[in-house]
Amino acid sequence: MLAEWSFVGVFLVIALAFPPLGLVTAWLLRPKRPGPIKKSTYECGLETVGDTWVQFKVQYYIYALIFVIFDIEIAFLLPWAVAHMGLSAAQGILPLIEVVIFVGILVAGLMYAWRKGALEWI
Amino acid sequence: MNVFLTSIFVIVSVITLVGALGVVMARTVFASGLWLILSFAGVAGLYVLLEAPFLAAAQILIYVGAVAVLILFAVMLTRRVMGDPGVSQNNSQWGAAAVVAALMFIVLSLTSVQNWRPSTESPPLLAVNALGEAFLGPYLLPFEIVSVVLLVALVGAIILARE
Amino acid sequence: MVSGLDFQLFLPETILLVGGIAVLIADLFLRERADRETNLAWVSLAILVAALVASAAQYGVSESLFRSSADPVAPGAFVVDGFTTFFRIIAILTTIIVFLASVEYVRGRTAFRGEFFALMIFSTLAMTLMAGSTDLVMVIISLEFLSITSYILTGYLRGNVKSNEGAVKYFLYGSITTAITFYGASLLFGVAGSTNLYDIAARFADPTAIIGTPLMSLVLPAIIFLLAGFGFKIALVPFHQWSPDAYEGAPTPVTAFLSVGPKAAGFAMLLRVFAVALPEFTHEWAALMIGVAMVTMTLGNIVALSQTNVKRLLAYSSIAQAGYMLIGVAGVSVANIAGIAPGEGGAGLAIDGTAGVLLYILAYLFTNLGLFIGVIAVDYLAGSDTLPGYAGLLRRAPFLTVAMTIFFLSLVGIPPTAGFIGKFWVFGAAIQNQLFALAAVGAINGVISVVYYFRILKQMWYEAPADPTPLRLPGTMNAALWICLSLTLLIGLFPAPFIEFANQSIHMLGVFVRS
Repeated sequence: MLAEWSFVGVFLVIALAFPPLGLVTAWLLRPKRPGPIKKSTYECGLETVGDTWVQFKVQYYIYALIFVIFDIEIAFLLPWAVAHMGLSAAQGILPLIEVVIFVGILVAGLMYAWRKGALEWI
Repeated sequence: MNVFLTSIFVIVSVITLVGALGVVMARTVFASGLWLILSFAGVAGLYVLLEAPFLAAAQILIYVGAVAVLILFAVMLTRRVMGDPGVSQNNSQWGAAAVVAALMFIVLSLTSVQNWRPSTESPPLLAVNALGEAFLGPYLLPFEIVSVVLLVALVGAIILARE
Repeated sequence: MVSGLDFQLFLPETILLVGGIAVLIADLFLRERADRETNLAWVSLAILVAALVASAAQYGVSESLFRSSADPVAPGAFVVDGFTTFFRIIAILTTIIVFLASVEYVRGRTAFRGEFFALMIFSTLAMTLMAGSTDLVMVIISLEFLSITSYILTGYLRGNVKSNEGAVKYFLYGSITTAITFYGASLLFGVAGSTNLYDIAARFADPTAIIGTPLMSLVLPAIIFLLAGFGFKIALVPFHQWSPDAYEGAPTPVTAFLSVGPKAAGFAMLLRVFAVALPEFTHEWAALMIGVAMVTMTLGNIVALSQTNVKRLLAYSSIAQAGYMLIGVAGVSVANIAGIAPGEGGAGLAIDGTAGVLLYILAYLFTNLGLFIGVIAVDYLAGSDTLPGYAGLLRRAPFLTVAMTIFFLSLVGIPPTAGFIGKFWVFGAAIQNQLFALAAVGAINGVISVVYYFRILKQMWYEAPADPTPLRLPGTMNAALWICLSLTLLIGLFPAPFIEFANQSIHMLGVFVRS
């Protein structure tokens, strides 16, 4: 079993090594002549305005909430999708009907969010 | 191999615990949220070691991917927290924490020194395939009800959070 | 997998599910219509009544639903038996009465009225699911389902700080108890190797499987952790801290709902899980109930003495009432467990004391909801939920005052009211099981409760009103009041059919026989 996970481990090591490697390489290669302009915060090339800690709009939060709910839905649908072929052979259309009910209930939720304008950017 | 697994387990556990400690000891709530992500990722590693790949994937997908983002958004929405990062976020009840930790340690150590009899039964459903079959077999009703619970949570979120 | 029988016996839940979604969607697309709300309210009421009829039609049925086709003798995740039918009826009746009392109340208080109706229907669905769950997964999901709807309803008044505070406290407390309950369920699953309550019972009944192994040491923690979840819904004492704040902050009809619906559903679940899955441990959990009952009654009553907000006072009063109900659970003795396979019909478990609990819940439903209709009316018409707001209510609303007085008498347990019958049966079960200390503590608490009930009565009957304008109840509120009043008196005066109903309803589908 763990052999299957070894490539995840390889990815993990590469991913963890990547950012420090880039920084270290840059630190080794770059010329070092700091100035007040160079040390200022970079924001689209313009001068920075205000604090970096700003309050977010509630709209972000509602997006995130709706995202979490459909994320969980996906997590539940995955095992169904994997098992679907075997089950359909044995039980015909029933597994499909069951998942249609599952998704249908959540479509009602999507419809609700849409009609309430929760998906609009304000 | 066993030494290898054990060392992986130790690394993953340390990551989880350091993340959890970071959550309670961080100076700002925002930093606590970031530490929490580390802890979540560590738990995903524990699921891998327990041979529950689906749980590990769900942990990454839902907790690291969605719940952590939600928590960080919630922190960034709160003006008072964002404006005042100097306030300590925990109430420093180290005494109470020590008592609870000691009790937990006693319970866990008593549990682990028991003379457990290894199970002869086949391990429970952990493969994704078996999980899918269970969703459509004995757990059909809970599976469908989860969808209703999610619907209610969605409606409630919009009622309570929308301006 | 799913047979036609499942759909037929699952009809009440199907009606509630489809109806709830229909109300939610209809509200979206009828946005412009002026008569939308009134129509939606009537449609929602019709859905609830249809579910009530469908539940009552299954009186006498005893079947396990959602059984796997792969294993024909395996029990399913949901059961319809006398016990389920009783609690389905209790859940739906509670919502109907609260619904009647809240139609006028929510108008003008929130912009989300259609959703309010839909959420009421969904919480009813959650309670009926709790009543019939026979699988730990189902137990936890339905518990969580009811909790989520309750949090939303508690925080429904967006602009009201107290409503927000109540909802947040309820939510934080609820999330932690849910986690503890999950832990308890997982321990039980680990010990017994199945999430199905019948399979768990079968494992414990096997003398070589678990008894005498280290696994036994995990059963008591599992029982305590599960009790935390059920106790949270019922508001039993170590798990009650959320209730005064949630009750005070919630919209008053929601408070009425919380004080009856989730409590009854929590008791249903507690009795079902402990009696079906853990009959071998009756001594352990019954002993636990004795202690919890004593503490719950005493603390609820003593703290209620110093309250000045009527909703808070009734919150503590309902904590104490839950303590009385728990006397009946402590008086449970799993007397004769008949192993009866599904389909063979007849009784499964017959449990003493359970009839007392059921009767008490039936009486408490009408009494407490009736009382809360008075509180809703005073809040709605006079805008007050403090004690002085009730001054001189006799002159402002004479009928309401008399009705509320009868409800108070019923809560104390004075004949000829429903409360007397409930108390009589619960205390009778305790004395029959020789739990004299418990009965004595209960009796002393009954006396304490008179003191604070009398404080409200004194305001209503003897004080002069600050504003003598008469209060006129809206028609729907009046209808709800009449239902509660007539049934409180009916149960008190002619208890025989209700006792029969409770006696018929204690039968849970018993242990499955594995071939």
